[in-house]
Order: sequence, then C-alpha cells, then structure tokens
Amino acid sequence: MYWPGWFIFLSPIFGFVITYAVGRYYRNLSGVIASLAVLGSLIASILTFFYVQSNGTVYNSYTWFYNIHAGIYIDHLTLVMALMVSFVSLMIHLFALYYMKDDPNKHVYFAETSLFTAGMLGLVVSSNLVLFFLFWELVGLCSYLLIGFWFFKPNATAAAKKAFIVTRVGDLLFLVGMAILYSSIQGFTGLGANSPLSIPFLIQNAQAIATYVGPNVLGAVAVLFLAGAAGKSSQFPLHVWIPDAMEGPTTVSALIHAATMVTAGVYLVARVFNIFYYSAPFAMYSVVILGAFTALFAGIVGIFVNDIKRILAYSTISQIGYMLAAIGLGGVFGYGGVSFGMFHLIVHAVFKALLFMSAGAILIALMDLRDTRYMGGLWKRMPLTITLLFIGSLALIAFPYTSGYFSKDTIISASWVYYQHYGTVQSFFPWLFLATGALLTTLYTFRMFFRTALGKPRSHLAEHAKDPSIFALLPLFVLAIGALGLGAIQGYFYGYIDPSYSLPSVPFLIEIIPMSLMAVGLVITFILYGTPMWQKFKFSKNPLYRIGKNKFYLDYLFTNIIAERVIVPISAGFTLFENSYNRAVNNVGSSTLKLGDLFRRIQNGVVENYFVVLIIGVSLVFIIVKILGLM
Amino acid sequence: MLIIFLLTILGAAFSFAIKGKRRDYAIAASGIFLALTVIYSVIRFHSGYTGGIISQETFNLASSIGIVFSTGVSGFSDALLILSAIVIFLSVIITEKGRYGESLYSYILITESGLFGILISRDFLFFYIFWEVVLIPVYFIVAQYGGMNKDSVSLKFFVYTHIGSVFLLLSIFTVYTFHYESTGVFTFEMGQLMVSTYFAKIPAFWMYFAFFGFLLAFLVKMPSFPVHSWLPDTYEAAPYPGTVILSGGLSIMGGYGLFGILMPVYRSMGTGILDILMALGIISLVYFSLSAMMQQSLKRMMAFASAAAMGFVTLSFGAGLVESGYQASLELAGGMFQIVAHGLIMALIFSTLYYIYKSTGHEATHSLGGIFREAPILSSFLLAGLLASLGLPGLAGFIGEFSILVGVFGAIGWFILIVIFAMIITASYHIWAAQKSLYGPYNERLGAIRDADRPTTVKLMGMLIVIFALGVVPNLIYGLLVTYIGGIL
Repeated sequence: MYWPGWFIFLSPIFGFVITYAVGRYYRNLSGVIASLAVLGSLIASILTFFYVQSNGTVYNSYTWFYNIHAGIYIDHLTLVMALMVSFVSLMIHLFALYYMKDDPNKHVYFAETSLFTAGMLGLVVSSNLVLFFLFWELVGLCSYLLIGFWFFKPNATAAAKKAFIVTRVGDLLFLVGMAILYSSIQGFTGLGANSPLSIPFLIQNAQAIATYVGPNVLGAVAVLFLAGAAGKSSQFPLHVWIPDAMEGPTTVSALIHAATMVTAGVYLVARVFNIFYYSAPFAMYSVVILGAFTALFAGIVGIFVNDIKRILAYSTISQIGYMLAAIGLGGVFGYGGVSFGMFHLIVHAVFKALLFMSAGAILIALMDLRDTRYMGGLWKRMPLTITLLFIGSLALIAFPYTSGYFSKDTIISASWVYYQHYGTVQSFFPWLFLATGALLTTLYTFRMFFRTALGKPRSHLAEHAKDPSIFALLPLFVLAIGALGLGAIQGYFYGYIDPSYSLPSVPFLIEIIPMSLMAVGLVITFILYGTPMWQKFKFSKNPLYRIGKNKFYLDYLFTNIIAERVIVPISAGFTLFENSYNRAVNNVGSSTLKLGDLFRRIQNGVVENYFVVLIIGVSLVFIIVKILGLM
Repeated sequence: MLIIFLLTILGAAFSFAIKGKRRDYAIAASGIFLALTVIYSVIRFHSGYTGGIISQETFNLASSIGIVFSTGVSGFSDALLILSAIVIFLSVIITEKGRYGESLYSYILITESGLFGILISRDFLFFYIFWEVVLIPVYFIVAQYGGMNKDSVSLKFFVYTHIGSVFLLLSIFTVYTFHYESTGVFTFEMGQLMVSTYFAKIPAFWMYFAFFGFLLAFLVKMPSFPVHSWLPDTYEAAPYPGTVILSGGLSIMGGYGLFGILMPVYRSMGTGILDILMALGIISLVYFSLSAMMQQSLKRMMAFASAAAMGFVTLSFGAGLVESGYQASLELAGGMFQIVAHGLIMALIFSTLYYIYKSTGHEATHSLGGIFREAPILSSFLLAGLLASLGLPGLAGFIGEFSILVGVFGAIGWFILIVIFAMIITASYHIWAAQKSLYGPYNERLGAIRDADRPTTVKLMGMLIVIFALGVVPNLIYGLLVTYIGGIL
C-alpha cells in the first residue's frame, strides 16, 4: 500500500471534518484549515509524481463488497489530473479566503469545498468504476450544496435542483452502461480474480473484451458512458444546468463549474479511452461529433448572453467540447488524442479559474451586479483585476503564444488531419465546427471584455469600483503566469501522457485559419463593442436574435414541455388513478361492512380466537384437499 | 438467539405491569435487546458463517401432528434482526415524555417480539402466529394514537393485511397436507417443506396455488402494485413512532418472506412467476414514483417513496433468480441489502419528519418553506435522509440500488430504461420536496421554530452514522448475504 497515494484524497476528507468542527467555534480558522488540507493533497500528489517516475504505476485494490473492489490506481493520466485539481483548488481556496470573508456561514462553505476537493481527487485516483461513481456523485452532491449555498435565494435553490436532476439523468445512463458491461463480461476468460468493473482490468484487456462481448455492445456501453460524461461535463443537450449554476458563489463557479468537476466527464472518457477505441467506430465518432457540436453550439449561445458569469459558463461548455473532440480524434491519433485533450483540460482549468476569479473580484467591487451592459470603464478603475481578466481572455481565445494557443490550435489542426485520414463528409464536420468555434470564442470573449473594460461606466456602481488588495489577488497572479506560460511544457506534456505521440502536421494555409478567424473576431468586436456603437442596436424583434437569446429553446423544452407538459400530467394522472383505486378499495370494504363486522368480531385481537380460526381453517383446507385428492 | 427472543416476550409481557415509567422501561428494554442482538451477531456471524441456518433449536410440542417450535437464524434473518432491533429502539427513543399513553410502549415491545419471532421461526405454524402477532399491536397503535380517519384506516390496514395472511395460511396448509400425503409425516418445518425436491412432488395446480398464496401474502406486506392501498393511508394516519415501525420494521416482512422463505424453492417456480414478479417490481417502481410526485404531505410522499423502494426488492427477487453466475448473486444480495437499507433510511426520514412536525406543526411541503434558516440541523438530517433515499453513493441506499440496477440487465435487457426513468422521477421529487420545504425564503407564518436539541441530534446522528457506515463498508452485512445466497443457489 502506497500511503501518499491514498493521502491525496484523504487529506481533504480530514480537512472537511476538522474545518466544520473547528469552524463552528472559530470561523476565521476554517478557510486556513481547508487550504492546508488541500495543500496536503498537492504535496501528496507531488510525492506520488516522483514515486511513479521511479517505480511505475501504483495499483492498490481491496474487496469492497462481493466482486466489486475499491482502491487507488495512479498512472500518468491520473497524476496530471491530480496535480491540476489540487493546485487549482488550492489557488481558489486562497482567493476564497478573501472572497468569502464576510459570509456568516463560511465554515460550511470551506467544509463543503474541502469535501468537494476530496471527492474530485478520489474520483481521479479510484481504481474501480463503482468507487469512481461514488466520488462522481459526491462531487455532484457538493455541487448541489454549493450552488444552493445561499439557500435563501430562490434562484440559487432552483438552479441547484436543476443541476442535480440534469446531472442525475447523465449519471443514471452511466450506471446503465456499467450494468451492460457488468452483465456481458460474465464468462470472459481473462477476468480471473479481477473485479469486472476494475479500471486497470478494463483498459488493459479492452481489445479482448471487445472481441468477447462484440464491438457493438461495447460501443453501446461507451456511448452510455459518454452520456454520463455529457451530464457531468455539461455537453449538449445536458448542458442546460451550468449557466443557471452561476447563481452560486463565484469561487464555487471557478472551482466546480469551470476548472474541476465539469472536466470529470472528459477525464472519464480519457480514463476508459480503450473501451471507446476498441469498440465499434460509432462510439469514437459520437465523442468527436458531440464535442465539436457542443463547442460550436455553446459558442453561438454565448454571444447572446449579457451576464458576465454566464458568458464564462458558456465558454466553459464550449471549451470542454474541444477537449472531448480531441479525445474523439483518438480514432486517428490513438492515445495521442487523449494527450491533446488533457493538455487543453489543464490549460483551460488554469485560465478559466483565472477568468472566473477576476470576474469574482469585479462582482465584489460591483456588489454582485453581473450584467455587462451596466459595467464599462473598469480598466481605469480596477487596473489589476482587469489586466488579469485580459490575460485570461487572451488565453481563452488562443492568442498566439499564450497557453491556449498551444493547446487549442493543436486540436483544430488535429481535426484537419482527421478529415484527411477519412476523407468523408462526416469527418469534415469536426474541423468545421471547431474552426468556427475559434471565431465564436473570440466574439463572445471580447464582447464581454470590451463591454466590461472600455468605454464609460454605465452605472453608479461601476463608477466607484476599486481593486481588491494585492494580497487577495496573489493566487490570480500565479494563475496568470500559468495562463501565459504553460505552453512551454506542451511537448513534455504530450510525451508524458502518450510517449509515442505525433504532432499533427497540416498545410500552412489551414494552420493559420483559426488564427486569422481570431483576428477577424478581434477586429469585429473592437469595432462593435470597443466603441459605444452596440448601444444603438435594436435586435429584440429579430427572429434569429430571439432564437439565440432563448438558448435555442432547449431550457424551454426541458422545463416547460417535458417536465411541465409531459411528466407532471402523467404523474397527475397516476395520482388520480391511485386515488380512485384507493376509493374503490374502500368502497368494496364498506359495502361488505356487515361481513367486515363479522370479521372484526372473530378477529378481535385475542390470540385464543386465532387458534379457533386457525383450527377451523386447517380443517376446512384439509377437507377440501382430501376431497380433491380423492377425486 | 432463542434466549434473546424469549427475553423479548418476557420484556413485553412485563411492560404491562409497569405503571408510570413505562417509557423509560421500554427504552431500557429495547436498548438491551438491541445490544444483545448485536453481541449475538458479532459472536456468531463475525467469522465462520458458511451459509444456511445456524443456532437451530427444536422443541416438540405435539410432534405427532407436526407441531414443533423450531428456531434458527440465517445470515439474512440476522441482518433483519439487527435492523428491527434498531428501528424499534429508535421508535421508542424519539417519543417524548407524556405525549403518548403508556400502552404505546407495550405495543411497541410486542411488535418487537413478534418481528423477532417471525425472523427466527423455522416452522410455519409459529411463523404464522407471529406474522399475526405483529399486526395486532400495530393495529392498536394506529387505532389509538393515529391521526385523521384513524378508525377506518386502522380497520382497513387490519382487514387488508389479514386477507393476505389468510392466503398465507391456505398455502401453508397446502404444503403441509401434501407432505403428509407423500411421506406420511406431519410437519410444519420449513427445512422439510421448503425444498425443491419436495415441491416437485406436489401436483402442479396445488403447487401454483401454494406459490400464489405465499406471493399474495408477501406482496401485500411488501407492498407491491395492485395490493398496496393500505400503505399510504396507514403510514399517513399512524403516529410517527408507528410510521417508523411500519416503514422500518414491518416492511421487512414481505421481503423476508420472498428471500427467506420462498427462495429455496425457486427452481419449482418457473420463469412465468418470476416474470410476473419482475413486471410487478417495475410497475410498482414507476407507479409509486409517479404517484409520490403529486403528494402534498411529506409523510404521504415518503410513504410512496418507501413503496417504490420496495419495488426494487421485488424486481431483484425475480431478476436474480432468472439470472445465473455472479450477477445473480449480486442481484439477490442487492435486493436483501435494499430491504435493510430501506428500513434504516425510512426510519431516519420519518423520525426527522416527526421532529419537524413537532416544532412547526406542519408536514405539507407548501406549509413549510425555508426552514433551513431556522432549523439547520433538522433540515440537514432530512436532506441527508432524502439523499439516502434517492440512492446517493456513500449512503446505504446506493449499495442496494446499485447492485440491483447493475445486476438486472441480464434479466430484463433494455427494460432497464424504464427503471432508470423511475429513478429519475424519484430523484426529481425528492429534490423538489427538499427545495420546497427546506430552502428558499423562510415562511414567516411559521413563527419562531425550535431546532433540534442535543439529545435529538445524537439520536438522528446515530441513525445517519449507521446508514453512512453501511454505505461505505457494506461488507458489514453484504458478505453474510452473499454467503447465504451461496448456500441456496
């Protein structure tokens, strides 16, 4: 048993207990304790990193119940994720010390974020899909609790409910995938003493399993896993919960809904990549097309949103689409697809945490005014914060030589290679969607940025905004350095995940398309939003605008049509039936009231009388049976 | 175990002699029984259990006509013994002094000895007697201390479940008689009657007659879809300690009947009956979930939720016996685990609701609202109970539901999507209920309400810890269940 590996997720669990217990009496200590617990995870992850360098993969597993095992499995993929989660979580905890300093319930907040970090790290290191699922739901629960942290806000609790139910749909589909896998793997000769849902067993034997259960069955399993991933990682059409989830504290959005939890779905697909790889081709294609389509779709919707946090939420959805698409490109690149996707995941976690926390700093200064239409002119008033926001935005749009440029443009080029490899129309869509996505990313990002930073303040609050103290912003500076410089480790990173990776090589003209689209986007947004020109627009009658503004009516479809017009009437019908059935039973009862009286007299609760009934019954049955037996 | 059982009878009888301090006495007695049961289980089951029945004792009363009192405990019934001891103890300690009359405590103790009797009897005669013994005190609890319509509801409960019992009796005598026909020996022993080799000798019609009689009796208790209508009324009308007993204690009877009594003869059952059971399980699940969604009263909603959770048990029984190999074991063990988990979870939910009702005077979702602000501890417990009930991992409910759901695909194929649909509905109304009653702006009309005091917190916390422990270390009992199945399959 390798203890530091277990300590990665045990440390914040202890942190959770201690934070809550101590925090009840000493509120101000709670944040420090939680941060120390997360720091413990970071140290444990680093120790494990060096241990794995010299000793290879860690795999400790014990029986949990029946043939389901529980334990830790740590390889390179795990380590990358664990280091990212503990590092980003630490930065966000440090910023939350400032952000949540006046909240009366901050010990609950820190206890919950600590528990969340434990769940996320546990998910990353777990060795069995069932244990994985346990932590998967634990992070979902923490997300539910933290979105609804300000429980007195009706919006926040409604958003928490929506988040829970929508992700639950995905989770249960994931569970169905496990059910099919578990059932169909029975009798597989390579199983031995392994648990049928053990992750190392599955990824090492994926090819043989595919032959044993049939590629189509395994493909169905893979698609159901993908559905689970789509719920957690908010991919189309299960993405509807995440913009609403922005009602929670901003640090929660940064931690859970930008950097870590929403990438759990991507991590799942990467973790069991071999299942996707060896099953029927439709599994892999559904990953790439789902990712690419979501990247495009969320980008379109993001253009119509005014709320600064919701813009960032849509950009998260879109960027996760890029990651999934990259992993899906593994159909051509093999495990290299995973390394492209994971690199974008890490880079995105850093710059998106930076973006959200700078947005959080703005919101504190503006007393939670989130509508970008009423901001403006903040660059002069909060120079430090807005500069940080600017750095994050540059990384987000993949401005050359920021970290996002290295991670994202590789994916877009790779999708071109993917098209070249297959040469069919379907395989052209990923590149089309992803490259268009680059334009859209620039549009929504700089629409937000210019409206926030430039021009004149458009509200009283914006006029009097001030930077927070530089100490509060320290974690953001660390992240900003990462957002600018992480590109330097690109080659090392790819090699760490997949030693035999190859960078996609595409013609120069194709390679500069995303970059030039980005430049076009910058020019357009500057003309429209860098100047007061946008204030003259009157779109509200335009049908296209209304479709976009209503998020393509998907929320409307889910909430108003499916939930209110389908489920509720069905349920009401069942209730009506239940009530009349109940009444019918009661009527039968009362119409035989006389008989009932008789019953009651016999069965007055005295045991002796029961014996009488019993003996009469015995004899009756005996007689009947005798007669029939004789016949 | 027999000694503990006799002690419970003595304890219950002695309670009638006590005046004035019967609550304290009942707390002490049920606490001692709980402790004894746990000690017994640790000694006998901690290691070395290899399936089958242990601690067998037999007393001949009138052996010429087969009247023998024989007892024994299997891994499964041991788990249920602990469960019922816990639930009874909980139902006693949550009552407050002086709210209920003295006789309530005697009834509760009688229920406990009845439940113990059911679980340890290995012959049908005494099994049946205890089956009936349990009904009587519960009937009185509802009839004396119940809420609205307590008279008609308690009568309905009694008559309804009694009809089930009559069929149980008929079936018992069918198998009893044919045993005499074929071997010339009168016996009520389950070890003799409930074996496949013997069942194969019964003429087909009478065999099915016996099966349907047993099934009807057990499904009424479960309850399963068409024979459930006593349940919501009774749960709602019963006083809260009574509801705790009903949901945690009495709900095990149907499940015990299926897994403890019918399972050894599953080979005679044929796939027809198992298909019907699976269908009933799925229908119950969907039907109760959808009916629960529209309930205004949290108590009634949870009654339906409890019934829906038992739908999983019926489903797992049918599916597990159709399947083979490791998934069958997972499925059946999951079903049995679900019985235990469901009992604990419902006991927690109803006792928390009891405290909420006591401090607010309301139990309807729309009359509560935002009580998290004033009563965070109670609200957290209710939330924990609801989450456990919808099957959140880490809590006991998940292990059962997971095992059932993951094992079931081999038996029902893509019908699993219907189960999933029901689970989504379940999650929706649980979360919806939590949101409506616990969160949002505080309903000022409730005035100032009291949160849980320290003793209350300790009681509920104890319950939650048990649920949590079973969710994280299911092997506390899961291993026993798997071993028990191994002895039968």
